[in-house]
Amino acid sequence: MKGIDDLLTRDRSNRRQALWQIPAIVLMAGLVGICVNYLRPDAIPVVGDWPVETSMAATTEDNLIISLPEAAKLFSARAAVFIDARDEQNYENGHIRGALSLPWYNVSKRFPGIAGDIPSGTMIIIYCDGEGCHLSHDLAVFLLDKGFENVRDLANGWTVWQNANLPVEKGNAVSS
Amino acid sequence: MRFHPEDKSMEQNSDCCNEYAKRHPRIIFTGILYRAARWILGIVFIYASFHKILYPAAFAEAVYLYQILPDWLINLTALVLPWLELFLGIFLIIGLWMPGAVVISNLLFIIFMGALSYNMARGLDISCGCFSTAATEGAADIWTVLRDGMFMSVSLYLLIATFRSMPRRSCNLNRG
Repeated sequence: MKGIDDLLTRDRSNRRQALWQIPAIVLMAGLVGICVNYLRPDAIPVVGDWPVETSMAATTEDNLIISLPEAAKLFSARAAVFIDARDEQNYENGHIRGALSLPWYNVSKRFPGIAGDIPSGTMIIIYCDGEGCHLSHDLAVFLLDKGFENVRDLANGWTVWQNANLPVEKGNAVSS
Repeated sequence: MRFHPEDKSMEQNSDCCNEYAKRHPRIIFTGILYRAARWILGIVFIYASFHKILYPAAFAEAVYLYQILPDWLINLTALVLPWLELFLGIFLIIGLWMPGAVVISNLLFIIFMGALSYNMARGLDISCGCFSTAATEGAADIWTVLRDGMFMSVSLYLLIATFRSMPRRSCNLNRG
């Protein structure tokens, strides 16, 4: 019986210890994390400003963002070319129907091959995935530099397009 | 009566138990297993914290891309979480504050796996940000969740071993 009593005492004591150790460890990590951040030259603000529109607007003179309804209207009117800025694998797994693939990481090599497929003056809508994804924005700025005028960025494009049940397709086949 | 893998009194102070342990390799094995689990998890946590501590801004972006936390919590998480992982790793390796450390470790793995699964389920194609803040780490997939599951099983074993002592026979019973 003494053994069982010892065991129960130890289990209770472990639980009691956990109760103060958990906040103590979290507090230590919090204090050290914030103090080190305060001292380092590349410190980040403890409370950051993360909304996607502000971060996009801050990095470009013109607001390139296009809304989903607007993009969907241009899609059904076949008045825009969609470009997928994600890598080939993601493109093959699924993309907006008819979208061209122009992965941002390989843009200098792939751009000459795709440039001819974009009729001049046509609206170009670029997308990637994730609200903070900057690939489409970077590609939009790149295309503006290359002389394309009507370039827009559909923020978080792949996710919002799918959520709206708009047409998608898989594989490499590109239909216009 | 039970044997706790960290029970030093049994290993060092009790001749009876040392004798018992020599004749019962299972007890020695349990002790080694417990220590190995602590070290494995400790190294994983320290390794995971390294990149995030070095590049807080990049890690904040990785947290942001998960699109789970409110904006005001993103930078705070990016500043505190890596240090929490580092402290946990150190505590696990040196065996300090084990009850608190193993509870936090299990909670973290539940959160990590939940966040990864949630984003996979809603089709968000984002980098894991688990061991590196670089986008080259690739998108999180089912293997990332399985890898976390593997680490969590080690963590779960430590939790059980810490709070529920391993069964053993009483030395007194063995004496005769």
